[in-house]
Amino acid sequence: MKMMSWGDALWLGLTARFARVGRLRRAVLMLAAAACTAAAVLYWKQQTDDSANRPLHSMYSGIEPQWSWLCQHDRCERYQASDTTTLQSLQTCNMLCASTQLWPQPTGPVSLASAAVPVRSDRFSLKVIASPSRDVTKHINEAFIVMQNHMRTLEHGVVGENRRSDIGPPRDVLVKVSVNGSGDPRMRLDTNESYKLALRPSGNSLVVDITAHSFCGARHGLETLLQVTWLDPYAGSLLILEAATVVDAPRFPYRGLLLDTARNFFPVSELLRTIDAMAANKLNTFHWHVSDSQSFPWKLDSAPQLAQHGAYGPGAVYTSDDVRTIVKYARIRGIRVLMEIDTPAHVGRAFGWGPEAGLGHLAHCIEAEPWSSYCGEPPCGQLNPRNPHIYDLLEHVYREIIQLTEVDDIFHLGGDEVSEQCWAKHFNDTDPMDLWMEFTRQAMHVLERANGGKAPELTLLWSSRLTRSPYLERLDPKRFGVQVWGASQWPESRAVLDAGFRSVISHVDAWYLDCGFGSWRDSSDGHCGPYRSWQQVYEHRPWATETPESAAWPVEGGAACQWTEQLGPGGLDARVWPRTAALAERLWADRAEGATADVYLRLDTQRARLVARGVRAAPLWPRWCSHNPHACL
Amino acid sequence: MALHGLLALMTTMHLAGVLCNVESTFDEITPQIYEPSWMYKCVPDEGCQRSEHPRPTLSDNSTSAFFDSLDVCRIVCGRFGGIWPKPVTAALSSQTVKIHPNYLRYDLLNVPAETRELLVEMTQVISNNLLAECGGHVTEVVDTQVVVIIVVKTAITSLNWNTDEQYMLDVQTRGGEVSVHIEAETIYGARHGLETFSQLISSDKRDFSDVEHCGLVLVSGAKIRDRPIYKHRGLVLDTSRHFIPMVDIKRTIDGMATTKMNVFHWHATDSHSFPLEASRVPQFTRYGAYSGSEMYTTEEIRELIHYAKVRGIRVVIEIDAPAHSGNGWQWGREYGLGDLAVCVNAYPWRHLCIEPPCGQLNPANPNMYRVLRNLYQDVADLLNSPPLLHMGGDEVYFGCWNSSQEIISYMKDQGYDTTEEGFMKLWGEFHNKALQIWDEEISAKGLDPQPVMLWSSQLTQAQRISQHLDKERYIIEVWEPLNSPLLTQLLRLGYRTVSVPKDIWYLDHGFWGRTVYSNWRRMYAHTLPRDEGVLGGEVAMWTEYCDAQALDTRVWPRAAAVAERLWSDPTSTVYSAEPRLQRLRTRLIARGLRPDAMSPAWCSQHDSKCL
Repeated sequence: MKMMSWGDALWLGLTARFARVGRLRRAVLMLAAAACTAAAVLYWKQQTDDSANRPLHSMYSGIEPQWSWLCQHDRCERYQASDTTTLQSLQTCNMLCASTQLWPQPTGPVSLASAAVPVRSDRFSLKVIASPSRDVTKHINEAFIVMQNHMRTLEHGVVGENRRSDIGPPRDVLVKVSVNGSGDPRMRLDTNESYKLALRPSGNSLVVDITAHSFCGARHGLETLLQVTWLDPYAGSLLILEAATVVDAPRFPYRGLLLDTARNFFPVSELLRTIDAMAANKLNTFHWHVSDSQSFPWKLDSAPQLAQHGAYGPGAVYTSDDVRTIVKYARIRGIRVLMEIDTPAHVGRAFGWGPEAGLGHLAHCIEAEPWSSYCGEPPCGQLNPRNPHIYDLLEHVYREIIQLTEVDDIFHLGGDEVSEQCWAKHFNDTDPMDLWMEFTRQAMHVLERANGGKAPELTLLWSSRLTRSPYLERLDPKRFGVQVWGASQWPESRAVLDAGFRSVISHVDAWYLDCGFGSWRDSSDGHCGPYRSWQQVYEHRPWATETPESAAWPVEGGAACQWTEQLGPGGLDARVWPRTAALAERLWADRAEGATADVYLRLDTQRARLVARGVRAAPLWPRWCSHNPHACL
Repeated sequence: MALHGLLALMTTMHLAGVLCNVESTFDEITPQIYEPSWMYKCVPDEGCQRSEHPRPTLSDNSTSAFFDSLDVCRIVCGRFGGIWPKPVTAALSSQTVKIHPNYLRYDLLNVPAETRELLVEMTQVISNNLLAECGGHVTEVVDTQVVVIIVVKTAITSLNWNTDEQYMLDVQTRGGEVSVHIEAETIYGARHGLETFSQLISSDKRDFSDVEHCGLVLVSGAKIRDRPIYKHRGLVLDTSRHFIPMVDIKRTIDGMATTKMNVFHWHATDSHSFPLEASRVPQFTRYGAYSGSEMYTTEEIRELIHYAKVRGIRVVIEIDAPAHSGNGWQWGREYGLGDLAVCVNAYPWRHLCIEPPCGQLNPANPNMYRVLRNLYQDVADLLNSPPLLHMGGDEVYFGCWNSSQEIISYMKDQGYDTTEEGFMKLWGEFHNKALQIWDEEISAKGLDPQPVMLWSSQLTQAQRISQHLDKERYIIEVWEPLNSPLLTQLLRLGYRTVSVPKDIWYLDHGFWGRTVYSNWRRMYAHTLPRDEGVLGGEVAMWTEYCDAQALDTRVWPRAAAVAERLWSDPTSTVYSAEPRLQRLRTRLIARGLRPDAMSPAWCSQHDSKCL
């Protein structure tokens, strides 16, 4: 049964409902040309005689430096508090002035009140109205607690300041969630992530209706609800918009961030924080490039030798329990964990124990020198495709990945930067490209076995020589997809897409977050540059600038890639955020608009949200510009 | 006392493959359950190398010592061990001795009484740093006595360009006792000696350890003679574009002390915000701070200056003027003083300043100089003697002054044309009036006139500078890019300079516009002219795109590369410095900083294998 939400009613033209909240101020219609969706933003003002809602403002009396922001001509202007009769914080002004302050911008109609009321995290309650399964209900409950905890974290920001009493009592908020659709809470390739949110006053309290077709959609709704809730530092209280409706769905189904934990090790806490920040931006795929030639930190239950020989040290290991923790944490946040054990290249010492165990050489060229002859960066290593044990081992690895992550519709085989020289040195009877093709087939074969005899719906390979003609033709586009990382100007993305391979875009010239930090070796090659600014990340829309040869390109989405040759735990957040937030809106909303004033404003607010969540995101501009946003554009 | 590395080695069980030459399938193998526990050996000319096997056996019978801990390997491997910046000469033993901070004693009998209090504070910092190597708790207790005898020859406690920073450090281990001798002219030299002493010490924890157990080991013998090449080794931190909380500034100071930098150039104010509390002019923060919690109180500033002094660092406060002044100066009219600054927050900004918000002091208004005098008085009260003021002086936009009728008529009265040269005269007049005020205020404190610092600008161009700025009084901080001849020209004219080539030593570059990021290698490779007139250099952290969240990783370890350039000015290669810098990085992490990674951890476990 489908309940008619307040938002639906609004769009059926029942504007009479506005009268109860206030008079219609204006309507702005924005057209997102490429996405062909129209987002209408409506504002209405509180009744001026409703004194209960007014005390957000008060007289300035302090001697401390203090600013007040007033919404004038659709922008927040800063005033010396002593020069104005009202005292309003920047946060509250932003939330109630012209921009939606939502990130990523919803793709459907949005209407937001321009009045706020005080709330408290412990006065939110949840009611699951409809749910297709117990599992989904359980996940909704947990996601609700996550949201409440974030609100609590915000409230901790008022330590030392007393909550002002004149803003009125905090309202109760009842959150009603209905999920009609999939009983599987996992993020799947076919998950419908759309949701509708309607927030309205009801007597002295507020009622929120979130309707979705999946747990993930409902969770996105809670995330949006969190975004219309903020801490007002002057009031010393959380505030929430008095009314809102949001209709929303993502443009692309795959929205990812890759983190490389092999070049440098990142403790579990760093991964969890990153995943939480991803959830704040409605990203849905944590692409975990867990191993590489430098290290193998994951201690598998079925093959602990890999970490024993491959980890940097006893404290640089992810156990199965760690992986489970990460997967569960991500699941509640609507995120799939896509673990990649890169093969056949990008392997190292972790595979060096074969001879000692009587299994022969599992890999060749391990730490071979000079490295430049056998791989792209030190240390070298490449699996031995002629050793049958390697496929046994991979089957164990794949089985454990699928069991732990419970992701069985999508898989990543790695498959980039194979050194033909390395194999040519050991197998001079066969074309290394044939070896590579054969290896890929066999890997696919054991993947099927590991997945209960069934190939995952989408098995990704990195773009490489193997995904270029004449080898591309030998791969089956029904089984393989390609994560395209070559520069956007290179013809390879076109070729892959024109050939009908489902693709994830990770163009090095737009979405590689490691670029621009110079070379970490004495030799000057092997690094990319310059730094990709958040504006560049945001404005990259290769699907809009190029036209497909025939039918629409099967672009599944994209992922930002954080390789970590020159990044350790301490610097992770500032490198990844807010740039990956820019990517998130590109993939969620895909607005035709570039990095305009409105985008600056909303991203600046989103960056502040991330910082409040404990993420060390880098600033967009000087703080004065946050205080005076329109003066810096 | 024992040869620590070897002992640990003997306890290592022999493992090796048990199934040699027997064909088996993967499933049949019962894996040995153990964690990777690499060992390291010091290989001449290569550095510390990780063992081949995660549980190495004694079958490798080379004579090189083995170490459980990479950090311990680093402090004895190579001529300069784990010392950063590189000392002039060092002879280090390849053996180590276990120590514990409880049995560490400082003997200050040969230190002038008037410096003893400060020196005690300095030793406390060092002791805390030793504890930090073990995360605050040294679990392995040994009762080896370590006595640090410090000899300081002069009672000088002031810090300036004449401060003698050289030191001698000797470590000897005999009969279960370690004696450490540090000898210096000043306590600042002694502090550097203590810093170097702390860099002869490492925790014996394994790399990426997962155990609580932690002991400290010290290089058992050392003979070090050291002094800096350049007198001025600074870091600029901008606290106006973003407010940087005191705790983050102090952590930055800790990093500077670790790398023997000696000038904290505090770009405290700019047109964006004025976070520096001035007790005589509370309006500065009231109108200029981002909020009541984003300002530095007089009390906090005093404490910071002392904090820096204990770490051998002089604080230079920069009040940038006449440009880069705006927010904090906009209240004049309200108080009946007229416009103290013009074009404050003017919009559109493009013709009035380099970046928004605009603002430039009003040199036509005598009240501006009155307020400036009050500010200078406050700064003089705060700084340690002899006080060093940075007057700013960069990026003056004549378009801004030209937009003020008041200034144009003032210029007419003074007989200045409204041409470029006329505005230059106005600008030069500002600096000389400001300098006179500064001189008067410090002379009121009984001090001789002191040189002041000034950024290079149009006013400091070779053909113009001598008409406006006295070379005895102004030290020019040259930030022109490398290809500019200005530095050489100023040296030829006899000016003293501090060098900050923006295209190499600006830490904010690479994140905006067309600027290019300099990594530590590039920063390290840059050399300054060896000239009496070059006092030294600085590395600059402008904060338009950086705040406390990103601060550490933007600054470290790159600032350390500049620190070694300025202290040692080495002729050796960048590559030979890398193992020591890797050790410095782990030391900074132990001391609570968050430096960036320089390479994959594999490369730090295999010195010289990632060329």
